[in-house]
Amino acid sequence: MNILANFLYNGLDLAGIPRFPFMLPLCLSIAIVYKTARCNNLKELPVATLILWVTIVLGMVGVGVGLWAVFSILA
Amino acid sequence: MSQSATQASLRIPLAGLLAWLVPGLGHLYIGDRARGLIFMITISATFWAGIAIGGAGSTVDPQHRRLWFAAQLLTGGQSLVAVAIHQNAIAPYPESEKAPVIGHWLSIDVGTHYTGVAGLLNFLVILDAIFCADPTTRKLLAMADSQGSVVT
Repeated sequence: MNILANFLYNGLDLAGIPRFPFMLPLCLSIAIVYKTARCNNLKELPVATLILWVTIVLGMVGVGVGLWAVFSILA
Repeated sequence: MSQSATQASLRIPLAGLLAWLVPGLGHLYIGDRARGLIFMITISATFWAGIAIGGAGSTVDPQHRRLWFAAQLLTGGQSLVAVAIHQNAIAPYPESEKAPVIGHWLSIDVGTHYTGVAGLLNFLVILDAIFCADPTTRKLLAMADSQGSVVT
């Protein structure tokens, strides 16, 4: 119980590159909720969610790489 | 107004209120169990993952992160539990002291994004529950479903 309380109070010790994979589950939950609300037929949900998840992740990586390139050129 | 009309007019705000209180509960109330359970699991997992990443000490902070807190509040009951944990975490620090930052700033940022996005997603779910609780809308959705049209 103490371990759980300590975990909830203090959180993780994130720094540097390891923070980037944390984007993936957040994008997945956005894709799941959005597609669950939009799809009339829930059988189509897994494929629709996967496509949206990949689209969001690729879009964000694209924006990130683009901004990094602009900053590198301007620096 | 007939009794069934009164029940129908109560159904819409009640669905919205339940959806705010516990993510997905509004959909369970209107009989859409599968969607309700998916919303409940996904939004709750996102919110509590955010708390676990950033720590409740600083992730849910009504005093210093007001806009994020407004988004977090949209998860309803869960955000209130998180606020209680936050108050408990900062309780040992004297009020005169500068507000404590508990945890690494990067973890707190990631945790705040998780919890804030969970709240904004629940706002979408609340609107969907209100929309689907209206019997007229449900008929239209059923018609669209029977015709095989899919909204994506």
